[in-house]
Amino acid sequence: MSAGFLLDLHRCVGCGACVLACRIENGRVTTAAWRRVLPLNLRRYDAGPTYFLSVACHHCDEPACLRGCPSGAYEKRPDGIVIHHEERCLGCRYCEMTCPFGAPQYDANRGVMSKCHLCARRVDAGRAPACVAACPTEALTFAADVDTVNAGSEEPADIESDRIAETRRYVPGFTDPAGCRPNLRFITPAGSTRTARFDALAGRLRP
Amino acid sequence: MPALRTIRTVCPRNCYCTCGMLVTVDERGQIVEIDGDPENTATGGHVCLKGLSYARRQTYPDRLLTPLKRRGDGPAFDPVPWDAALQEIADRLGRVRDGHGPAAALYYEGSGSHGALGGLAMAFWRQFGGCTTTYGDLCWPAGLEATRLTYGANLHNHPRLTPESRLIIVWGHNPAETNVHQWRLILDAQARGATLAVIDPRRTDSTDAADVHLRPRPGTDAALALGLARAIVDANLHDTAFLAAHAHGFDAYRARLADYPLAKVAEITGVDEAAIRTLAISYGRTKPALLIAGFGLQRHTRAGQSMRAVALLPALTGNVGLAGGGWQYANLASHCLTPLPLPPEPPGMMRAVPVSQLAGHMESLDAPPIRAAWIERGNPAVQHPAAPRVRHALSALDLVVVVDQFLTPTATLADFVLPAKTLFEEEDLVTAYWHPYLQWRARIFDPPGDVKPESDVWRLMCERFGFDTHWFPSDRRAWLQELLPDAHRHAIDVLRSRPLDLSGHGDIAFADRRFPTPSGRVEFESAEAAARWGVEAVPSYVPLDEGHASTRAGRFPLQFLSCKTRDRIHSQFGNLDWVRGVERPHVVDIHPEDARSRGVTDGARVAVWNDRGRIELTARLTPGIRPGVVHVLEGWCHEGDADVNALTGEGLTDMNHGATFYECLVEVAAL
Repeated sequence: MSAGFLLDLHRCVGCGACVLACRIENGRVTTAAWRRVLPLNLRRYDAGPTYFLSVACHHCDEPACLRGCPSGAYEKRPDGIVIHHEERCLGCRYCEMTCPFGAPQYDANRGVMSKCHLCARRVDAGRAPACVAACPTEALTFAADVDTVNAGSEEPADIESDRIAETRRYVPGFTDPAGCRPNLRFITPAGSTRTARFDALAGRLRP
Repeated sequence: MPALRTIRTVCPRNCYCTCGMLVTVDERGQIVEIDGDPENTATGGHVCLKGLSYARRQTYPDRLLTPLKRRGDGPAFDPVPWDAALQEIADRLGRVRDGHGPAAALYYEGSGSHGALGGLAMAFWRQFGGCTTTYGDLCWPAGLEATRLTYGANLHNHPRLTPESRLIIVWGHNPAETNVHQWRLILDAQARGATLAVIDPRRTDSTDAADVHLRPRPGTDAALALGLARAIVDANLHDTAFLAAHAHGFDAYRARLADYPLAKVAEITGVDEAAIRTLAISYGRTKPALLIAGFGLQRHTRAGQSMRAVALLPALTGNVGLAGGGWQYANLASHCLTPLPLPPEPPGMMRAVPVSQLAGHMESLDAPPIRAAWIERGNPAVQHPAAPRVRHALSALDLVVVVDQFLTPTATLADFVLPAKTLFEEEDLVTAYWHPYLQWRARIFDPPGDVKPESDVWRLMCERFGFDTHWFPSDRRAWLQELLPDAHRHAIDVLRSRPLDLSGHGDIAFADRRFPTPSGRVEFESAEAAARWGVEAVPSYVPLDEGHASTRAGRFPLQFLSCKTRDRIHSQFGNLDWVRGVERPHVVDIHPEDARSRGVTDGARVAVWNDRGRIELTARLTPGIRPGVVHVLEGWCHEGDADVNALTGEGLTDMNHGATFYECLVEVAAL
């Protein structure tokens, strides 16, 4: 099983509610921002769409953090969630170097790393992760197995040319340079579809 | 597991959403979770980042927990006990009244926190003998009046019907950033096949998700609306049956449309003629179609007439009184609380000035002049038109008292700053303006430190002056129950388990096609508008005095917009570190063409100025804004934010005493 996140790039408005919900849920553990929102094309150049990548740990199938950890602080659970065990952490920061996504973050006050644990306790209790529960547009969702919802290809998506909404592994701004097989899937914008549809409709209606 | 309790409450900010909230607190009194209240079917099971930030704001290190008194004439404040603070405030207020009369005291309440108890300040001021207050509103009054003149009431469909729409036009509004719960419902409609058109001079998160984006010049919306109407009528797509039964003055309106051939409308608005016709025909042919207008197109001197022109489109196409259709501007269904019991108004001693012209009136009022100010729930020193003049006027007063949770720019000008409660520290009833719900604001925590709810502060002020204090509640719940409308008098307990839907008409506004206007019909021609506001009975397009085509544009050629986004409500929330972590930058958005001709490069420091003021900030070149228009986010929250209201003026909307923030010409130059 590969637990992870689905992000609908059409519904996400980059509001940051997920970031704040993560801080409420985990704020007593860390001051680090485990979840971040990366805006793309905020200058809104006409050549491309503006969208937002809400990212945290991707609970990879081949977690670089785990591979790079000399003290065995990382655990890959059977459901796919990657847990960092703080009590085993040396604070050597190797995982910070090996993770290509910047998920593990160093807490200088306590001398250890920390990262998103996919709200494992909430998930175990049948609840959505805090970021997912808070998303006001329901753009971010949790999947117990992202592959059962993944109809997309391995090829990076060319969002401009998309004509149907489908899940993608990679979009401009998000790739997998180290072969970690991250468990984040994107539902790509269908706005251009609707635009095309509207144009077709309008063409028929034009007097 | 620690013992947790979850309390239902409501966010009282000046925001469309007015979210129902479920706040979970642990046994140490810490907020461990904030969720949306699913019983509020408009906002659903989520709040927004601002609602979530209350977990930080409630115990934020910068929060004021004790009264402060200015040290001498310097910038520093010292903590002072309540007794001493109120005694000195009372003494100084008394001297102002003795020297100049009660109206020399200005009582200013902003929109920072909604609740019925805020009105109790008047129990003091009326016994004080009067004061100067404000009327009108900075935000939305022209659109309210335009809607009332057209349909008779500010009501609209329950938001949960939005997904039933097949075509949604969002006009002068950016729900993806400022009404995110509406946005969820619009996305749901899109997912079900609806077409979304957005009309905005800027590219925004809303326009980027739209199928169609029309970008008119600011201030030309009336022309665009009349052009759309012309195209609809020319194609014979107006709803003749609806108009025959429910329209008043349609013939006069139809005659007016002769003045708006599409070529002329395209020239005025800067919108392509074919795009206008295409949208018009789609709107004329698609039912149900929903028209959602924001506040953005009514922040100028032609606001009311523009809004009337736009508001008539749903009636023209018969999109009124049906699920998935309608005109959506404001829903005041929940605004039906009984007026507070208050002492009688002292005859002739209450004076009021339009809130949009506060600076000018503070400067010029005479007999008596303003000598003292008490400011609650507002931040006029930065959020008002002509804000630097408001600051100057406040600095010259004998006494300024500001009640707030934080040391805002207004508070820094005060002689006394009194610590305000948060939304979690006093019960109240909260109305809304997008959904029909009345909601209960729960008291979850005792006020920390020396914080007192304002209702207690006013009671103590009454005691200082020996005034009658029986107006103040001893039992807030019982007192608030008396404010409920008669039909719901016993609903105070219900409010603890769910919000109260006060629409009275079901989910569909005007389903019975009864319009409480003078004619009982939708008024395409409004004699009342002409009589009350001196405007044309049938709306037309009149260029802005300070618009793109005015002579003033020779000196200041760029139209300046100061819009809102998702991470703050005006000057609230942006001070919190959590929110700063996700905020949008306060830069000036300028089109590359406008930048090139001024030698402005991306990331350069620039001056933005006119004859009212000047600000300096960083330029962001973006094709996402219309050439001829520049934009800076409003809302002063922390150092580095833009003092946008140094540029804005104190104009009044053509109806209902609104502000004209978006009628503002500027020039930009590289530094």
